Amino acid sequence: LPQLRDFLLVYNRMTELCFRHCVCNLNYRLLTAREESCLHSCAARLVHANHRLMGAYVQLVPSLLQRRAASRE
Amino acid sequence: MDPLRAQQLAAELEVDMMADMYNRMTQACHRKCVPPYYKDAELSKGESVCLDRCVAKYLEVHERMGKKLTELSVQDEELLKRMQQGTGTA
Repeated sequence: LPQLRDFLLVYNRMTELCFRHCVCNLNYRLLTAREESCLHSCAARLVHANHRLMGAYVQLVPSLLQRRAASRE
Repeated sequence: MDPLRAQQLAAELEVDMMADMYNRMTQACHRKCVPPYYKDAELSKGESVCLDRCVAKYLEVHERMGKKLTELSVQDEELLKRMQQGTGTA
């Protein structure tokens, strides 16, 4: 359940970010084609960026923890 | 975990997340539609209409993001499975 909470928070943040960046035309109630295309790219980019970030984090954290443990000794 | 308890927690979580979404939407739409000029207390017609449209669009975006996220995560799962199968047979 805490994982689901994190996922849902990410979802809400993504919505806010992509809305702020992509939706600029408030003359219409429906999304324009440009806005739709922007939202598609925004979602995909955020997901890929998150994956890349996670990969880098997972790679770097073990050595960081090792250094901390060593400095404590 | 007790299934009833899990259901209750899931319902609470949904309420929390809707409240979070509402707060973000309020902030975003206020920034887009209400300029920081505070001489007049009343909203103009343009500002009011902008807020209506902003809410409609935000909810639409929220729905689409949900669909895209599930699409992308399903794609990722398939990719991971293929990778694992590939390393298994190699």
